[in-house]
Amino acid sequence: MRKISISDKIGMILFLAPAVILFTVFFVYPVGFILVTSFTEWDGMSSPVFVGLRNYTTIFKDPIFRLAIRNNIGWVIAGGFIQVPLAVIVALMLSKKPFGWKALRTIYYFPNVISTVSLSMMWMAVYNSEYGILNGLLKILGLGHLQRNWLGDLHTAFYSVVLYGVFYIGYFMIILLADISSIPKSYYEAASIDGATKIQQDFYITLPMIKGTIGTCMTVAMVYGLRQFEQTYVMTNGGPANKTMVMVLYLFKKIGDFKYGIADASAVVLLLIGSLVILTVKRIFRTENN
Amino acid sequence: MIYSADSADKYKERGGLKMLKRNFAKVLAVVMILSTMLIGLTSCGKSAETQAQKEIEIKFPSFWVAKDSKAKVMSELINQFNEQNKGKIKVVVEEIADYDAYEDKMKSNIAAGTMPDVFIFKTGAMAEPYYKSGKLMDLTQYYNDGWKNDFLPGVLDSVTYNGQMLAVPYEYGVAPALYNKKLLAEAGYDHFPKTYTEFFDMCEKMKAKNIVPAAQMTGANAWTSMLWYSQLVVAIGGPDVYKNGLDDPAFLEAAKMMQKLFKYTTGDAVGATAAVTAGHFLNERVAILLNGPWFIGRIKNEGINNMYDNVEVAPAPLYEGGKGSEGGYIGFVQSNIGAAKQTDKNKEKAVVEFLKYLTKPENVEKLSVDSGSLFVVKTNLKPKDGKVERLQGEMIEQMNKAPYLVPHFQLMVSPSVGTEFPQALSSLVLGEKTPEQFIEALKAADKK
Repeated sequence: MRKISISDKIGMILFLAPAVILFTVFFVYPVGFILVTSFTEWDGMSSPVFVGLRNYTTIFKDPIFRLAIRNNIGWVIAGGFIQVPLAVIVALMLSKKPFGWKALRTIYYFPNVISTVSLSMMWMAVYNSEYGILNGLLKILGLGHLQRNWLGDLHTAFYSVVLYGVFYIGYFMIILLADISSIPKSYYEAASIDGATKIQQDFYITLPMIKGTIGTCMTVAMVYGLRQFEQTYVMTNGGPANKTMVMVLYLFKKIGDFKYGIADASAVVLLLIGSLVILTVKRIFRTENN
Repeated sequence: MIYSADSADKYKERGGLKMLKRNFAKVLAVVMILSTMLIGLTSCGKSAETQAQKEIEIKFPSFWVAKDSKAKVMSELINQFNEQNKGKIKVVVEEIADYDAYEDKMKSNIAAGTMPDVFIFKTGAMAEPYYKSGKLMDLTQYYNDGWKNDFLPGVLDSVTYNGQMLAVPYEYGVAPALYNKKLLAEAGYDHFPKTYTEFFDMCEKMKAKNIVPAAQMTGANAWTSMLWYSQLVVAIGGPDVYKNGLDDPAFLEAAKMMQKLFKYTTGDAVGATAAVTAGHFLNERVAILLNGPWFIGRIKNEGINNMYDNVEVAPAPLYEGGKGSEGGYIGFVQSNIGAAKQTDKNKEKAVVEFLKYLTKPENVEKLSVDSGSLFVVKTNLKPKDGKVERLQGEMIEQMNKAPYLVPHFQLMVSPSVGTEFPQALSSLVLGEKTPEQFIEALKAADKK
């Protein structure tokens, strides 16, 4: 093996330095800072006071935080096990290039170029009990008894917020579609000669070939579920009765109450759960090459 | 670089293309570093240039922009200030139209140690962390120079912390009932009910006529409903009710009344935001809205069917058997203007000059007349003197007659209780919590 010269080493250091510095300043330092301040009582303005594990016991005793964890798990499941499988199905269908597939691809992807806040506002109007299209449709269909204040009802608020997010599959669909298009055509031709149907080709060629990408999509969807904030903040602000509370919103509210120590403790818990989810998904979708 | 035949041979000997790539990488790295340094030097040059001009820039993030009723005159005043101080001081406004987003940004800035030169913040319990931070400019010496004479008596106490006067109290808020007399007339009422018994009778009659009596909300900070609750707490427990904290039975009784009030509101009240309640009132979908003088501008500009002419103001009803008195008002310093501590004395003076300019009686008069808002600065405005807007005049008159003025609930409790209130209220009105559990939830939030 060739020995690396000193001038090469300097060159490598110079090239790596910006990335390492940025990573340290914008990731390592903030995470370390959050970890340290999570053991303090701090209002964000005065000096922090060390309180040991008190913030952690406070949040785990708080039923609202426990509910937030449960809701985040709901988001993770919805993202990983409903949104991504839906994206896989649509990507498989569009990969066959049916009539109008390009238009459909654009339509499915379109919501991804609109801000979450705008989409949330639109869905708030859809769900509105007084003039919302959903209640209007139910009335037209003779299902008036099902009309309700979807975002203000204890039993429907959480599902209403999650539901709208789950249907926006465009981002994952595009990634999967790109991966499917990179599979050599000869595989399908050979399978076709052997008499495999389109569905069999999907199950025995396409899905195994895009397994790694599905894993990546699931990781991204689940992590998004864990750091869910905008939709909930705009649509319900965690209400009614904290029924739609999620961890990021919880810590955001604690910052609003000048309780930075508690907010940071919840951020650490969020980081730990996030790491656990990523490692689990990576383990499940580990491929032979990886 | 010019290569001779000799150097080209040497070049080949050294390894040709690989060598070139390696050298190129090194050159590129050096160029990148030099560029970064040059950019740094350029910005240093710019700041030196700025200093040479000696124009002091004051950064002022503001929510008195966009649709806010004070936006127009505030912008005119700042432009005028900049014009008067051209080359010396320049106020640069950062527009943040959303109140909650504004507050969050200020808190984050302060935590990060990047407090803006001038900014707006809440009063009461919400102001305490700002005072405690030690990052606000001490304005005591400037107030003692005669500036304090511009303010209404007693209001400067609210910005005094550990003997230091740390902010400028500015906007004053009252929260009476704004009602649409046309809708009340349809239910057979030519006046606003004086007591809650009469009020609920009227609600029943309105309901029978398919008129929604009052706007309520639990979204965001539950503003309108929080004002109803504040009014009820004082009407039941009297003006000193907050001295006993949440243990006072008035808080529980008021919670029971809130459950009743939510029976006479819109179907989207749970989860509704202030924008939704305002929309209902301005579109004549509800007859009553508890809100402050800053809302008058919107009634004028956005109310349908010339509704402004149909809107009247009244104190909230009296609770029979309660310790409150007829005509009692919710009144509070709505906003403070704070300034960051400055190391540069000249900048400190410039900031104070701007603050004094904002509180000049003639400027405050302009703001008040145009927006309908009230301020804690003494002006020559009198109700019914022709300059004061009708609804604003009525509010001032009722406020002057009020047996007491008590701040609203959110200002009198800890920030945690204020944050929990909308969630606890939605639990209460949806039947998930009893009034007793509602109070317990608020107490629990206080301890967290």
